[in-house]
Amino acid sequence: MANLNIKSKKENSYDAIVIGSGISGGWAAKEFCEKGLNTLVLERGREVKHVKDYPTTNSMPWELEHRGGILQNVKEENPVVSRCYAYKEDTQHFFVKDTEHPYVQEKPFDWIRGYQTGGKSLLWARQVQRWSDFDFEGPARDGFAVDWPIRYKDLAPWYSHVEKFIGVSGNKDGKPNLPDGEFLPPFELTAGEKYFKEFLKNNYPEREIVVARCAHITGNQEFYAKQGRTLCQNRTLCQRGCPFGGYFSSNSSTLPWAAKTGNLTMHHHAVVHSIIYDDEKGKATGVRVIDAQTKEMKEFYAEVIFVNASALNTNLILLNSTSSRFPNGLGNDSGVLGKYVAFHNYRAGISAEYDGLKEYTTEGRRPTSGYFPRFRNLHKQETDFLRGYAAGFSSGRSTHSDYSGIGDELEKSMAKAPEYGPWRMGSHMMGETIPKEESQVSLDSELKDEWGIPQLKIAMDYDDNDEAMIKDYLEQMSEMFEAAGFTNIRTRDDKRAPGLDIHEMGGARMGKDPKTSVLNKWNQVHACPNVYVTDGACMTSTSTQNPSLTYMAITARAVDHAVKTRGKS
Amino acid sequence: MDRRSAMKQLAILTGGAVMMPACNFSEESILQAYQNLKVTQSDHALLSQVTNTIFPGTTLKKAEELMIPDFVLLMSNDCLNADQQNGFVKGLKGWDDFSKKTFGKAFSKMDQNEAEEAIIKGMALEGENDSEAGHTRQFLNTTKRFALQGYLNSEYFMTEIKPYELVPARFYGSKLIENA
Repeated sequence: MANLNIKSKKENSYDAIVIGSGISGGWAAKEFCEKGLNTLVLERGREVKHVKDYPTTNSMPWELEHRGGILQNVKEENPVVSRCYAYKEDTQHFFVKDTEHPYVQEKPFDWIRGYQTGGKSLLWARQVQRWSDFDFEGPARDGFAVDWPIRYKDLAPWYSHVEKFIGVSGNKDGKPNLPDGEFLPPFELTAGEKYFKEFLKNNYPEREIVVARCAHITGNQEFYAKQGRTLCQNRTLCQRGCPFGGYFSSNSSTLPWAAKTGNLTMHHHAVVHSIIYDDEKGKATGVRVIDAQTKEMKEFYAEVIFVNASALNTNLILLNSTSSRFPNGLGNDSGVLGKYVAFHNYRAGISAEYDGLKEYTTEGRRPTSGYFPRFRNLHKQETDFLRGYAAGFSSGRSTHSDYSGIGDELEKSMAKAPEYGPWRMGSHMMGETIPKEESQVSLDSELKDEWGIPQLKIAMDYDDNDEAMIKDYLEQMSEMFEAAGFTNIRTRDDKRAPGLDIHEMGGARMGKDPKTSVLNKWNQVHACPNVYVTDGACMTSTSTQNPSLTYMAITARAVDHAVKTRGKS
Repeated sequence: MDRRSAMKQLAILTGGAVMMPACNFSEESILQAYQNLKVTQSDHALLSQVTNTIFPGTTLKKAEELMIPDFVLLMSNDCLNADQQNGFVKGLKGWDDFSKKTFGKAFSKMDQNEAEEAIIKGMALEGENDSEAGHTRQFLNTTKRFALQGYLNSEYFMTEIKPYELVPARFYGSKLIENA
């Protein structure tokens, strides 16, 4: 028996274990494998191979039985995922159904999840705006959360490292609050967007519209051919999975790249129960994994463990990793684990029309939009709320067809080319929210999932700061829209629950002081440094930018640190 | 497999109606493809007359050539809630009697002009949702909505009338319109 155990221990031992194969886990896998470490990636969901497992990728609209619609009974049984903008007939197989993986909403929270190879990297909106020191210095300047232990200069080379590999389309705009990166050619702004950009330049010189940077290949084909990827073809059917690899996902890029080194082992249906902490050795030695199908428990061992299970699931794993040294969860000496979670405030939006530019329209499709970097409270505090918002801004020429009749009148109208209407303008806010102690996730003491793991309880909500920010966004946008000559201006606050932004962050925040944070500046658990957390759970504050690029850069930086310090204690 | 269960299987596979030879001939069987609706072949035929009135095939193709009635039933069966289904089915089943009573002629006996007028009037009927007029209104509006959706998203329309590009491979933000 003893021999057998030793054998099994040896067989199940790796240099590094990465929990999760999503956007940050894929990066950890690639970096470790490239640096020669024998790496195990644990994915709780099924295998989704690039192209081969994108069943709808080349479907024509008429080939979707319900033309994109979700069945009524599925909607009724799964209200949370049904509220997600990307959950449609052609993408539904990549989303977790509410019924399959229940959780407890202490406060309403729409938790959108993707359990498969690549996780949500298959489904993301592909927006990759860098953070700047206006973001990293936010908590210290404005006195909330704790100070970030890193600054822009620590991350800048890693942003570049990531951008070059994933392919980022963007324009060098020279804005200090939205640093430029390693860009492939940008997509065009539309005539309507250019008009508004010009209007701002002349009337609000501190404010500017740029084309949003997105993880799409628009140049340097030879380089990306090595990954088996090629130019974005403007299909804008990204969430089905792209047969061209035109946008970045773990499936199309980092995971196959890692596999080519020969150093990657990947297990699917591998639900991580907890991280094993060895009291004698004073470090983590591996992970306990339940096979999602057989329910059999197995252990895997490694000298370094990366937790990239997605922000809230990473919290769950850490909280469930109890030992005599860490009775309240791994690395939770401070008691802050699971606390100070936050999200992005996407509640408000505005739409309008513009009667000019009649001679222009757009042609083709664009997988990104215009982007309005944060201008509020940027250089100094100027409002009665903390922080600010970025915003999406897009404009396109509307067309109109009259489908009101029936009979031959309707057929004639359908056969005609549509008529041009006004330009339509639209914007939605992306507000920074403040991480607070009472915003937290915890383990339910009774409810368990199918594998006997406690269900996650989620409690976060909007506060007065968020409400004031919504009001300001709508006022400012309305004022600018009016001044720009836009008409038929309509504002909205859809009162959505947190979560639908799919930017939940924090719970295992980075910080300088182990008494008030879980991770150090290298993303190591303060009290258990061979465990690194580099997904959304590590975030100290949320900023306004879409966070995935920052997760990837943080991950690459942390792997570099883990490998450089290997063998040193 | 005996003939009876073979035919049942066929009915399920094809979504078509199969008259069970041993059944009471006075009772029409339910179309198996639309379990939530409990509609029969006659209901399907009447719906087909409605969608052929909406798309008579004088400028474009006729609704039945594009299987529009089947699409309307599929969407009503799968993508409406129980209340909406109730209104749709009651309105459909009552449509011939209702039109006779209200317009003096059963819909199934009307020519294209009369039928168009009946549908337009029926779509604008007033009254509680859960009334005969309300069911008729819901039935006709739902049928128009799904028929239009099915038509605009049909292979015929998206290849021959307004071609859909799966792979545009371009984006121009300021394209000059000729003759603007």
